[in-house]
Amino acid sequence: MLQTLSRREWLSLSSCGFGSLALTGLEARNQTIGKPANINPLAAKLPHLSPKAKRVIFLFMQGGVSQVDSFDYKPRLVADDGKMLSFDDARVIAKTGMRGSSQRIMKPLWKFAQHGQCGRFASDLFPEMNRFVDDLCFIHSMQTEGVAHGPATLFLHCGATNSVRPSMGSWVLYGLGSPNETLPGFVTIGPSSGNGGPRNFGNAFLPAIYQGTPLGKAGGSPGDMTIKNLQSRLSGKAQADRFGLLKELHAQRLSETPGDSELEAIANSYELAWRMQAGAPGALDLAGESRPTLARYGIGEKATDSFGRQCLMARRLCEQGVRFIQVTYGDNSANPAWDQHSDLPKHGFHARAVDRPIAGLLADLKERGLLEDTIVWWGGEFGRTPYAEKNGTGRDHNPGGFTVWLAGGGFKPGFAHGATDDFGAAAMEGKVHMHDLHATILHQLGIEHERLTFRYAGRDFRLTDVHGKVVNEVIG
Amino acid sequence: MGMPNLLGNRQGALWALGLLILLARSGSQIASGIPPSQGEAHGKVFFEAKIRPLLELHCLPCHSAEAFAKNKLKGGLFLDSREGWTRGGDSGPSLIPGSPAASLLFKALQYHQGELNMPPKGKLPPQAIRDFETWIRMGAPDPREGKIAKKQLGMTLEKGRAFWSYRPIQRPPVPVLKNRDWALTTLDRFLLKGLEDKGLTPVGDSDKATLLRRVSFDLIGLPPTKEQLQKFVNNPDPKAFESVVDQLLGDYAFAERWARHWLDISRYGDSVTLRGFVYPQAWRYRDYVIESIHNDVPINQIIREQIAGDLLPFEKDATRSKNLIATTYLALGNTNLEEQDKGQLRMDVVDEMLDVLCKGLLGQTVTCARCHDHKFDPIPTADYYALAGIFRNAKAMEHDNVSKWIEVPLPMNPAKAMELSQHDFQVADLERQIKALKGKEEGKGIVPISTLPGIVIDDEKATKVGVWQHSNHSMNFIGSGYVHDQNADKGKKTLSFTAELPENGKYEVRLAYSPGTNRSSAVSVSVFSPGGEKVHTIDMTKPGPIGGLFVSLGEYHFEKSGQSFVLLSNENSKGHVTADAVMFLPVGDNAIPLPKQGGLTRAKTTANLQIKDLEQQLKSLRANAPDRPMAMGVVEEKTIEDARIHIRGLGSNLGRPVPRGVLQVALYGKAPLFPKEKSGRLELADWIVSPQNPLTGRVMANRIWTWLMGHGIVRTVDNFGTTGEPPTHPELLDFLSMEFLDKGWSLKSLVRQIVLSRAYRLSSVASKELTKADPENRLWGRSMRKRLDAEEIRDAMLWIAGNLDPARGGPGFPKNLETDYGFLTNSKRRSIYLPAFRNSLPEILEVFDFPDTSVVMGKRNQTIVAHQALYMLNAPFPAGQANLAARLDRVKQPDLDPVRRIQSAYVRVLGHPPTLAETQVALRYFQISGDSTQALEALYHALFASAEFRLLH
Repeated sequence: MLQTLSRREWLSLSSCGFGSLALTGLEARNQTIGKPANINPLAAKLPHLSPKAKRVIFLFMQGGVSQVDSFDYKPRLVADDGKMLSFDDARVIAKTGMRGSSQRIMKPLWKFAQHGQCGRFASDLFPEMNRFVDDLCFIHSMQTEGVAHGPATLFLHCGATNSVRPSMGSWVLYGLGSPNETLPGFVTIGPSSGNGGPRNFGNAFLPAIYQGTPLGKAGGSPGDMTIKNLQSRLSGKAQADRFGLLKELHAQRLSETPGDSELEAIANSYELAWRMQAGAPGALDLAGESRPTLARYGIGEKATDSFGRQCLMARRLCEQGVRFIQVTYGDNSANPAWDQHSDLPKHGFHARAVDRPIAGLLADLKERGLLEDTIVWWGGEFGRTPYAEKNGTGRDHNPGGFTVWLAGGGFKPGFAHGATDDFGAAAMEGKVHMHDLHATILHQLGIEHERLTFRYAGRDFRLTDVHGKVVNEVIG
Repeated sequence: MGMPNLLGNRQGALWALGLLILLARSGSQIASGIPPSQGEAHGKVFFEAKIRPLLELHCLPCHSAEAFAKNKLKGGLFLDSREGWTRGGDSGPSLIPGSPAASLLFKALQYHQGELNMPPKGKLPPQAIRDFETWIRMGAPDPREGKIAKKQLGMTLEKGRAFWSYRPIQRPPVPVLKNRDWALTTLDRFLLKGLEDKGLTPVGDSDKATLLRRVSFDLIGLPPTKEQLQKFVNNPDPKAFESVVDQLLGDYAFAERWARHWLDISRYGDSVTLRGFVYPQAWRYRDYVIESIHNDVPINQIIREQIAGDLLPFEKDATRSKNLIATTYLALGNTNLEEQDKGQLRMDVVDEMLDVLCKGLLGQTVTCARCHDHKFDPIPTADYYALAGIFRNAKAMEHDNVSKWIEVPLPMNPAKAMELSQHDFQVADLERQIKALKGKEEGKGIVPISTLPGIVIDDEKATKVGVWQHSNHSMNFIGSGYVHDQNADKGKKTLSFTAELPENGKYEVRLAYSPGTNRSSAVSVSVFSPGGEKVHTIDMTKPGPIGGLFVSLGEYHFEKSGQSFVLLSNENSKGHVTADAVMFLPVGDNAIPLPKQGGLTRAKTTANLQIKDLEQQLKSLRANAPDRPMAMGVVEEKTIEDARIHIRGLGSNLGRPVPRGVLQVALYGKAPLFPKEKSGRLELADWIVSPQNPLTGRVMANRIWTWLMGHGIVRTVDNFGTTGEPPTHPELLDFLSMEFLDKGWSLKSLVRQIVLSRAYRLSSVASKELTKADPENRLWGRSMRKRLDAEEIRDAMLWIAGNLDPARGGPGFPKNLETDYGFLTNSKRRSIYLPAFRNSLPEILEVFDFPDTSVVMGKRNQTIVAHQALYMLNAPFPAGQANLAARLDRVKQPDLDPVRRIQSAYVRVLGHPPTLAETQVALRYFQISGDSTQALEALYHALFASAEFRLLH
């Protein structure tokens, strides 16, 4: 069991790290989670439960998409548009402790209609995604912690608003390892440097091998979408010669102190680096993709090119068996992309940028049979208020009720769980806390969230802290 | 929200049902009511009839033995027995018989705002509350005699005092040994005893070259030079090692290495993660630590200065400066400045300080006790709030939407003070002149937008909610007119002026409106920036102070894609609300020159030229402002008070106040007295460094041992509680602690003592016997092989390449850097001087396990990952240093033959010559590539990348 392993034991495991990678055979691949094996800690491990999914693609809509303008259909907002009504506003409560403040109802700016076999109501904000409602499992009753972006973003990724905790991808990698030996097991595409930045894909106190590897950064050019230091400045031959020299020197040293596992581990980390250098660039190169595929993701068109590339990269990594892939639509500012406090119509601009690429990804995953064992998770750090912020023309943050959707990975397709109140302000039925969502996603990956623990500073930590329960209603 | 309170109705129904059952059970006696004065029997009947059912229905699900068994007990309170409420829960006794007003339970029932409210599902009906009142007034008769089921959570204080780390430190007897020749110092005797007891023999000493490389990295973080190696290896004097050690201890580089250890346990960082704000003054603390260690300032003094420097007496300004800078220690937390609940934030900051202080100096994890008694250690919640009370009295933040840390001015010499006051005077004078000239320029007229500087959003471009009437009646406006709210539909109309800003930066925001006597004298105008919302109230009966048109709404930092808008509302206004335009004017150092569009058209006068000239002067004066020395720190709160227990850590759930105090389990001798008018930090510091404190000395001695020997005597260096590991050699730990305290808390003395021991000099190669009997080297029969830290890897490469910049101290980033995002440095200084930016650590530090700058880290992680290999192979830095090292080699030794050159490179990088086989490998490479600088660069590069370089034998 993981719980019985001391930090020291795990660190020593990680220091054997890549050392024994070359020896990793079938046995290693069949480790059970947490078995203190004498082998590569990144090797794929057997989960606690029979898994429904093998990997996760998280499409992070940074800043917070308005649920009432997209997927949470509330006719009352149209009927009561302009009326001043009393709401428990999260920001007002945090600042003053006062419940009930007068707010002006603002109707959705996009029209709702029914879609798909399931007849799900969705607005025309995301026309392409709407074609897939029969594949999506909506949770309309999400709740989270943190009224501001920073804390809420950290909570979304790490399950804590400020304390230093490992991010979800790191936990998953720690729990399940990775079947791919030339690519990192946890990759984040275009992460933002704001609102917690690297901490959102950090390993915190878990061994460093479980940290997320960034591909590019938010706002970067498509050419940045690669792993750092993957390419040498030297010519192929000079590179190989230099690597050969190092390899021989290591071999000499090892022949003098046979069985020196630390020395061997460092030597082998270079072997792995060399393999990554050879193998990863191909895996990360979109050049081999066909014209129709590129078109399907909106690559080559101004509005969708950037996010389209990110989504296509996600599919490629998915094929390579990368465990946890995050794709961020956002930027590095304190008010990230979807943060429309004053100008809600701007949601339309962002929606155009992500809609085609996400629909393209879903279609592509389905076609390739990957959706079955991949969880696609779409959502932000919180939602938005159904009333106008300060009686203006935008919406403020809403951690008390918002929508996410999941596809594939054993989540019920064409299904919706939970509900907010008549206005879409607060989750009322079947509330799902962010801790619960984390627990549920882990469950689908075959991990019992209460058993995925790591001992640090005298106590056992987990992603879900002392909370979280699996939402059985959303899984098949 | 307009939702009906279903809960209240349901509870009302249940209450009625309860009453019915009750009436049926107890007959007519109850219905007629019994006056409270009619004796004990009646009291019991009253309890059975009225109170017990209420307790059972509303209270016992969370406050009973049954709840406790289900792990559902709340607030540590039992209400299922008389003893339960007498003793009370986390907040103290629950009932005071005879006095409802003094009874916590009764207060909770009344549902006062902001206090503890019970039951949690909703207030009880008035009759039920009255019954409780009657019952308490009767003296709370309660026949339930059961004992509390509650077990003490964690360890009791009594048991705690018997635990090894909480026992007083005592000088142990020195062991008697079989082998009388081996030990060089007393500490060796403790180690050899452990080995002899197991029938084991320590390995032999390291060879001299290995020893010199080891001690050199351990003490100054740099490798020995080739010349130093040759000198030491060839010196037969048995005292040679001692003199090397003394030389290293005196080297400034010792402080640059060891200050970093101290920073590891002080979670030193130069910025904050959320929003990436740079701490512009934190570097002063880093420099303070380096200076203090260089001067071997006693550690107890450093601790006192760090915790209470601002409260210490001083004679010289220099002392005062140093003391103030030391308190930066308290303020370095990686705080969530944007937490909206500021009461919560205040306690979060206190919690963070306690965590760092207790883990770092006492090896205690106290923060568990924020919400409940510590589950394993003898630390009750009351102890936590006794400590928290002290730091709650230290103000560390100015609260705002995004709160701000505190900076205090440092004393200045008279010349500096004069220079600054002159500067301030000149600025004020220029501002006054400009204002006066601008006043003259006021007048009526129509101002075209194109003539205005900055980004101007006219009223036509504003997003309108409600009807806003266009007008040009006043003949004094910008563009084609202005709008007003028709003095109607108050609270229903808003205007938003959203700016599309070309660049991130600081802007002054100005609002233009149409003034007049029928206008509102209080209009609410909000500016939304990434920093949040700032509300202004504008008097529109008077003309705008700037040119009769504009009023300034202040300066803000804006981001290109962040929120940047002004929202004007007619809420609560009397009279017409008007708006003409909003201007975003780039200012300060972040000002981006915008296309010049000329000044106001009506102002092309001499006065206007004068204004321009004066403004130019003001700008350059500001740009060349003298530095104002400040230190980050804390100040005493105005109100000094004890903290109340926050039940389950919640600010909304306050329990009884706890007098300020220290950890009871580690208190020997008199408890410190906490003055009424001071926070108590000084008293706390004095307790921490008291020789009677069982923790501090042990924790420090163990840390120093760990930083030299690679593992602690207590291996869980930050955790001396019951979940930590016990010491492998408790007597040795006490011996070292006593030595440390007796020698005046001198870091250098203890380092010297450990380094000169036999144990330190042993070879790190284990014998077969030892590998088998003691695989983890808990008996210290050999030296521990260590790895170089990130800083050592970087600094050594720069050093070997002759490229290390020896400059000391000062900030490592540009003066006006606001945020740390994407910060890159090409500094060649020692790594301790690189800014420890929490969002942009230098890559080499990040890759090689630099500690998390948000938490105490007495022992760093040690990982081997492929990213390190990729970095060494392909990043420009290692290759660049290899190139410089190769060139330096050529310049210094132009005429070496290839074999000697290979040997020289080995000695310089790894501290020892190559084996024959290794020489042959390198020679072969030279033969293929030619004896060029490039080939030599490749060799240096390979040696930097090699496992040998990273390991410290």
